[in-house]
Amino acid sequence: VRRSAIAILLLAALGGAALFSTRALWAADTDFAIHFEGSVLPLKSKSVNRVIYLPLVEIAQHLSQPYTDDFRLETFTIGAQNARLVTTRNSALISVNGQVVLLQNPVRRDDSQWFVPVDFLSQGMSRITGIEFRYRAGASRVFAGNVSPTELSLSAQAVSGATRLTLRAGSPVQVEIQRDATQRTVILLRGRPIDPLRERLDYKDRLVESVAFDDSDGIPKVLVATTPEAKEVRITAGDESRVYFVDFTREVAATEAAPPPPPPDIGAGAGAGARRIRLAVIDAGHGGDDAGVSDSGTLEKEWTLAVARKLRSALQNRLGATVLLTRDADEALTSEARAGLANRNQADLFISLHAGYSANENDAVSSIYVIQDGFGSALNPDVEPRDRLFLPWYLAHRNSRPHSEQLATLLQDQMGKSLPEWKFAIRTGPIAVLASTMMPAIAIEFGNLNNPANAQSLTDEAFQTQLAAAIAAAAERFAMEQGTIR
Amino acid sequence: MPRHIKIALIVLGVGFAITFGLFVNVIGRIQSMVNDDSDADAFAPPAEELFSPTDPPMAVRVFFPPADGSVVLSSEDRTIFRSPGLGNRAKQILQKVVDGPQSNRLRPSIPPEARLQEVFIDDTGVAYVDFSNALATNHLGGMVNEQATVYSIVNSLIYNLPEIRQVQILVGGGERETLKGHCLLLPLEMDLSITNVKPREDSQPRAD
Repeated sequence: VRRSAIAILLLAALGGAALFSTRALWAADTDFAIHFEGSVLPLKSKSVNRVIYLPLVEIAQHLSQPYTDDFRLETFTIGAQNARLVTTRNSALISVNGQVVLLQNPVRRDDSQWFVPVDFLSQGMSRITGIEFRYRAGASRVFAGNVSPTELSLSAQAVSGATRLTLRAGSPVQVEIQRDATQRTVILLRGRPIDPLRERLDYKDRLVESVAFDDSDGIPKVLVATTPEAKEVRITAGDESRVYFVDFTREVAATEAAPPPPPPDIGAGAGAGARRIRLAVIDAGHGGDDAGVSDSGTLEKEWTLAVARKLRSALQNRLGATVLLTRDADEALTSEARAGLANRNQADLFISLHAGYSANENDAVSSIYVIQDGFGSALNPDVEPRDRLFLPWYLAHRNSRPHSEQLATLLQDQMGKSLPEWKFAIRTGPIAVLASTMMPAIAIEFGNLNNPANAQSLTDEAFQTQLAAAIAAAAERFAMEQGTIR
Repeated sequence: MPRHIKIALIVLGVGFAITFGLFVNVIGRIQSMVNDDSDADAFAPPAEELFSPTDPPMAVRVFFPPADGSVVLSSEDRTIFRSPGLGNRAKQILQKVVDGPQSNRLRPSIPPEARLQEVFIDDTGVAYVDFSNALATNHLGGMVNEQATVYSIVNSLIYNLPEIRQVQILVGGGERETLKGHCLLLPLEMDLSITNVKPREDSQPRAD
């Protein structure tokens, strides 16, 4: 009797486990919104096996479409005689005016409620209502009809004792800051509907815990959870209310000392051009075990980092751009990691800094490198790279190479003006970081550390600042002169 | 002596012998691992001569960086033996690159410690050129320097041996992302734009 009881128990446990594992993975309801002209429809979306499902009845009601829910046939019909849409439970096939359309995921009916995947809107609803639906994969909102949302990009970086959150919008927005006692800062965005490029920012430091976009209640806002260390919040607008810098600082008294660099005031001077460089990546060459070239106590890896930091503040001030360094410490990085940082952050500019060395100490020519023309295209001669969806890493430069050339020419000209005693030659080569960067990218090799006069200038702090200013000036000219990057 | 003690002694003796044997074996292995000088047989003469004195001479152009730094690469004319195998000719040319220039207008492009280990040429015209680790570890660095090293090898081969389409440099028998952090070591084509040498005027036998 006992043995059979154990067997029954085991069987029951197995059955339960099987039932559990085959059940669809339901996630909790999340807020979803459809932005129509003049109205917003807030919905509770469900996520089943990572597919987002929207409740169908609410959408049909909001669009004032007549519908019939046939319980017996397990079908749901929307619309009238000449514009009719029929869906069937657990089927990805829907019928629109007698025409069959295949969705990416089946329509569901759970607990006598109908749920449709998001592509039901563009594949089905738009054909019977004439309303266009636009959805960005991974987002929790859909824009319908003539609603033209403002794109918003968020970025955060630590700037000398403060954390700077940069909000960039495609068109002017009004911003209002609210702080509450629970270490939360709410940045309300007023104006047109907002379409954030990312829902949340993967950023955390001593002052900021998390940054996320939220418009579940219809009001778009950025929620910033701060640590108790963050005492003060300051906001600076720029670029005709398109850019906002929100600085979280540690102490209230620090405002006079001004730890963050002066807010980039993009006014009449910079204007439209500067907006084209929103994010720049500076690559300090070498690092870690790889010291680069060295002579009389100067290591290339230390020199490039010092100049990269100076160039960062020069670019921030001049362009109002967010500037990232590939490394802000003495660490080893592969070329792919350097290029990858710029590619992932969709940088508009990439500058790699190097110092030169020549066995001939009289040699003092600096070089501006652009990726070799047509580099890598002969490596896969049988497949035309244009026709390929996925490109090898080393072909990433193809579309931006003309811009890189333009940038190199401008920099050479600017260097001739700012540092007339220095000679810069434009060269091309199979430079690793330039092959795999997708944006205008150059590498600069300064002078010759074996040349005593060169080495003395290059290690001089004031000269480094001058160098950084000259490069920033060239970057600004590039931003003004080039047509369009994107 | 009682019998069981005898047996015990024999067992102990056999056990000791086995242990000793294992110990000697392990020590020997460790020593051979420590003393494993992979460079040792690299100095051995090649199994076959690269050329025979009866082979006709062949004028080649070998690329080296100029001392004045005006361009990345300049060149000088040298002579090799037109031996039957393409690989043999490639090795002779690369030996000229490794040996360095004769003119004092030019500088060597390869660290003096670096040695050419092997050359393979596949049927698609890609030459794989294997150098010892010193090519990378003893390189002084610098973008222009590195480009000079890479293209003195690539250009010297392709310019003189048009059967070779691309050259991939291997270091220490393996692929490497870059030589010293700058130049990608993928199969590279000849680049005369960084030199003061004009393209060859004679017709070039090409597969395509």
